[in-house]
Amino acid sequence: MHARFPILKPFTIYHLPFTILVCVLLWSCRHDEVIYPTIPTEVTTEVQKGGLYVLCEGNMGSNKARLDYMNLETGTYYANWYGAQNPTQVKELGDVGNDIQQYGSRLYAVINCSHRVEIMDLQARHIGSVDIPNCRYVAFYGGKAYVSAYVGSIADPDMLGSVFEIDTASLKITREVKVGHQPDELCVVGDELFVVNSGGYITNRHDSTVSVIDLASLTEKQKIIVGKNPQRIRVDDRQQLWVATDNGLYVLANKQVKTVLPIHANNLSVLGSTVYVLDHANKQVRGISTADYQYSKVYPLSSYENPYGMLATDEALYITDAKNYVSSGVLHCYGYDGTERWTAMTGDIPGHLCRVTGTYEQKQDTTPVAHNSAYLYKVYEYLPAMGQFVNVLPAYEEGDDAAAMCRKCEKALANNAGGMVTLGGWGGYITFGFDHPVENKEGRDTQILGNAFYMTGSTEYGSSEPGIVLVSVDANKNGQPDDTWYELKGSLYDDPKTDHAFSRTYTRAGDTLQNEFHSQPYYPQWLTADAYTLKGAKITPQTVTISGQNVQRILEYGYVDNKPNKDVEGTSFDISWAVDADGNAVTLSAIDFVRVYNASDEVLGATGELSTEITGAIDLHVQ
Amino acid sequence: MSVLAQNEPDTLYNDFRIEEVEVTARALTKDVIVPQTLKGAELKRLCALTVADALRYFSGIQLKDYGGVGGIKTINVRSMGSQHTAVYYNGVQLGNAQNGQVDLGRFSLDNMEQIDLYKGQKSDIFQSAREFGAAGNVYLTTRKPYFKTGERVHVRAQMRFGSFALANPCVGVDVKLTEGLSLTMDAEYVYSNGKYPFRYKRVFPDGTTAYDTTAIRQNGDINAVRAELGLHHYYRTTGFWRVHAYNYWSDRGIPGAIVNNVWRNGERLQDRNTFVQAQWQDEWWDRWSTRLLLKYANDYTHYHNFDVKLLPSNNEYTQQEAYLSFANKVQLFNWWDLSLAYDYQYNALDRANLLLDDGKEFFDRHSHWLSAATAFNFKEYVRLQASVLMTQIENQKSPITNPKFTPGVFASFRPYPKIDLSLNAFYKQSYRYPTFNDLYYTDLGNANLRPELARQHSIELAYRKKAQAYELSFSASYYYNRVTDKIIAYPKGQQFRWTMLNLGTVKIHGVDAHGDMSFYLPLRFVLRTRLNYTYNKAIDVTNPTDTYYGHQIPYIPWHSGSVVASLDWSSKRGDHYGLTYSFIYVGERYGQQENTIYNYVQPWYTHDMTIYGEWSIKRYWLKANIEINNLLGQDYEVIQNYPMPKQNVRCTLAFRY
Repeated sequence: MHARFPILKPFTIYHLPFTILVCVLLWSCRHDEVIYPTIPTEVTTEVQKGGLYVLCEGNMGSNKARLDYMNLETGTYYANWYGAQNPTQVKELGDVGNDIQQYGSRLYAVINCSHRVEIMDLQARHIGSVDIPNCRYVAFYGGKAYVSAYVGSIADPDMLGSVFEIDTASLKITREVKVGHQPDELCVVGDELFVVNSGGYITNRHDSTVSVIDLASLTEKQKIIVGKNPQRIRVDDRQQLWVATDNGLYVLANKQVKTVLPIHANNLSVLGSTVYVLDHANKQVRGISTADYQYSKVYPLSSYENPYGMLATDEALYITDAKNYVSSGVLHCYGYDGTERWTAMTGDIPGHLCRVTGTYEQKQDTTPVAHNSAYLYKVYEYLPAMGQFVNVLPAYEEGDDAAAMCRKCEKALANNAGGMVTLGGWGGYITFGFDHPVENKEGRDTQILGNAFYMTGSTEYGSSEPGIVLVSVDANKNGQPDDTWYELKGSLYDDPKTDHAFSRTYTRAGDTLQNEFHSQPYYPQWLTADAYTLKGAKITPQTVTISGQNVQRILEYGYVDNKPNKDVEGTSFDISWAVDADGNAVTLSAIDFVRVYNASDEVLGATGELSTEITGAIDLHVQ
Repeated sequence: MSVLAQNEPDTLYNDFRIEEVEVTARALTKDVIVPQTLKGAELKRLCALTVADALRYFSGIQLKDYGGVGGIKTINVRSMGSQHTAVYYNGVQLGNAQNGQVDLGRFSLDNMEQIDLYKGQKSDIFQSAREFGAAGNVYLTTRKPYFKTGERVHVRAQMRFGSFALANPCVGVDVKLTEGLSLTMDAEYVYSNGKYPFRYKRVFPDGTTAYDTTAIRQNGDINAVRAELGLHHYYRTTGFWRVHAYNYWSDRGIPGAIVNNVWRNGERLQDRNTFVQAQWQDEWWDRWSTRLLLKYANDYTHYHNFDVKLLPSNNEYTQQEAYLSFANKVQLFNWWDLSLAYDYQYNALDRANLLLDDGKEFFDRHSHWLSAATAFNFKEYVRLQASVLMTQIENQKSPITNPKFTPGVFASFRPYPKIDLSLNAFYKQSYRYPTFNDLYYTDLGNANLRPELARQHSIELAYRKKAQAYELSFSASYYYNRVTDKIIAYPKGQQFRWTMLNLGTVKIHGVDAHGDMSFYLPLRFVLRTRLNYTYNKAIDVTNPTDTYYGHQIPYIPWHSGSVVASLDWSSKRGDHYGLTYSFIYVGERYGQQENTIYNYVQPWYTHDMTIYGEWSIKRYWLKANIEINNLLGQDYEVIQNYPMPKQNVRCTLAFRY
């Protein structure tokens, strides 16, 4: 070779570096960074309504907070769902995701080291963001979000934390209240907010208090002393507070320590009358009764590296394993019999779970997660006509607004609470919904409870205060009942004496109907306007006097508060009865909102007006 | 010592080359493992401000760089972790008992004469016991005074300006006190505001922009002063002693990770590193060599974070180190040497949380090393070395560990006496002990950490040729390392702190290739090229049930390499002009244990360029130098969320008398 092509020799030597340079340039090159995709994985064939959001914290400084979505309707787990939904968000979701909650038709994710709360719709599409320094957890009440933050006012020598109030309509911080050291979880009971002060940053001292905050004035009323380093607080079905501390699990009732259970609870989840407690050291979850604090069931997690997040829902118990905290975690789904149904691989440190059942309103203030419950879940509107129980059932208090009255109705009716709400005189109404759409299946679909009863020995007469039912589909998906209403056609719909276009204006000035038994104002005191007009159908009077008693004819079907609740069929309604404004039948496969208004216009002396009363509602298709 | 060709142009630098031959005249080149070396003019030609920048041009290393003038820069040798790399400053190891890492970004190249990188260990058995203990060794050798006949004083002054408001003056004086005794003094100041634009951009798969944001790096400013004093005494032809005092003071911002909604951080760091070291060495009866090293170091670090969004922290750390080494070597025959060395070190750390009254802690540690080594040289053909090191570390508050023994065996075979081709191989074990941070940090540390054991197997082919018109040297090695109980450090928000994990077992297969070529061209042109390539497969094999089993460990690229080409021209009267181009490539890698798309880190590569001119008139010498780094302005990160500077420039004017 050299002999034949001697000239190549120097050429080769001198150009060797450049030859190698060319080779080097052929190595894989840098290209534009492509957005992080979502990666779907089918994990189960089991089907549930809605889905489950999994907020993975990611390590500090890694900017790897990741919101995954488990679509329970398809059994598919979507890694990095938020990223795919919001590819234009600069630097993605952020650094260290610390909490995720649903309120109304929105999701609120607290991104600790990005110092902000991310607000999304139920598909995790970005709506807005509120900057709060070192924010930790979020809770809701009356249209406001309350966010705990490790850092409050600047240059505070005590380094006390704060709770910030965000107006969920304007997404602006409205107020701030200083609490204890490094406040963590918080929850609302009644009109008070309870915040645990962990003292997490002062490792050799810790805090050991729960701040009680009056929500109306947003002031700290008192501090309840609990164990050292409280980090979690949840409210149960008995309005007891469960506070996880280093010294055990505290149970508070009426702001007093009721008992201390010798358990180190790393995470809590409340379902019905059971509090599920995740114990990291012993690698197990225990169910504890809220009535007698006895253990109902133990779920061993011995195969876990680091059990971390937990959520108990009606359909399943979800528990996460954070593994070594710097690699993917695992989401486990268990039946309550302890059988594992499926698992999914998550992002780094899957810490926070949020169950959603769709794109409609379904969230109650103090309940972190919807349960696909059979019972009435949310009250959207409440506007009674003037009547003798108005401002009493439920009770109006100074300062209440319409939203607060809705919350009071919820407290009375939601989740089978068994309370009662009056609709007042003719036309007064309430609008409510479930935590999922009610499907239109064969036969009756939903039962609405009232306080009707039969006269002794009769099924034809009794106390009947009929209310007409309207239903609506959330066609615009805004979670609000502002869509077209359809009447469920009752037995008097075609009665010529039924006036389908009645209306009446109630005025504050006309508030003169008080009888001797009910002396409070009859005009809804939370209204700022001095008059309001109700429209709808009015049925003909049904009252007759039998044996000196005023009783009503029991209508055949299709009215609320007409038959006793034990007559399930008689108090239930079929969505197939729906008609439009012109009386034409419409086919609805499912409905999101139910409105009931008082259709009778009769005032009966001492017993007052006929007034539809509601005591609850049930989706008959949920077992 | 390489003998330079007659037309070697950079004779000026010869003035500053210590004639080590004087001291170790009888020591033939006994490198069983050939080090990679950068020295003298070659070092000056690179686009490099610090030792860390220069080390990028070596093969077999992985650099971690948090960006900017003040950002921490550390290296891994052959993927074994930065704590397996020992750094020696004029022969004495630099320590950091707190985190075990030496920030190579702090060592200026301005008074550096030579940098050597040894994989395995320096294959000279006459060394301190500790030097047998590390898996990779970097030797930094500062400039030593050299006086021509009749010269008594040398003065140097240098000024450097650059991007990010860099201002970097440097002065030095060498004084010949007596015939054998000389004094050197150096002082340097560095200021930079650390502000540079960086850009985050992401696109949709179809190439349209998803987001594109540019911001300015904040809180990356640095103020640093370095002052050094050296006293050197050479006597007879065999002995010398020297004393070196070093002081470094800095105040810097820690720019921190760029994450969503966080574009600046408030952490600050002040530190002072002070040490005094003394070395004495002599030789008797032509057969017995003795070396004594003494060192005292006192390091102070003040870290505080007054970011209003975070809880304030304010911590002080004071570290003290006392070190003694006594090494002896006996030449039994011309072909057989024996050595014995004993080292002792005491480390103490005071930690104070200034925000708490009771936030004080104290840790200390006594370490003993005893080494025995032997070397055989059978003519030019075969060289063998074997060593064993006993290590005993007594940590406060933890039980005394049993002494650990780590052997090393090195062999070199040179089959042809007239051809400089050698086949070298070694096997070595070394321990990396947990640092104070690893052990005692209440939030991040882990008192149960085990020492990490590295076993290295390496085989190397090296070839060198010198001719009238060119010089070549080439080496290629294949190695297999197995690290058990590997401790991995993860950046955790604050650069100053880490999360520590005994990651378990890591298997490393690698290839290093290195080539140097110089061509002496007509018309006094010289073309020099330097090529490096590193292949690393460093996989986690701890537990087959882990999701990252078999995955590449964090921040280790499979491929990396560099190319340096420089063209120099000398005028007839001895002025020099030169142009250096360098290209550094670091391939794709992952930022976390799991090799998933979410942890993927793209390759980065930068093109750098230096232009310089040197002029000398009588005894005055002047140099002007312009460096352009990241010529094409690539937006890249070495560590995720720590953006690196785009194109930046430095200009240097140096004067010497």
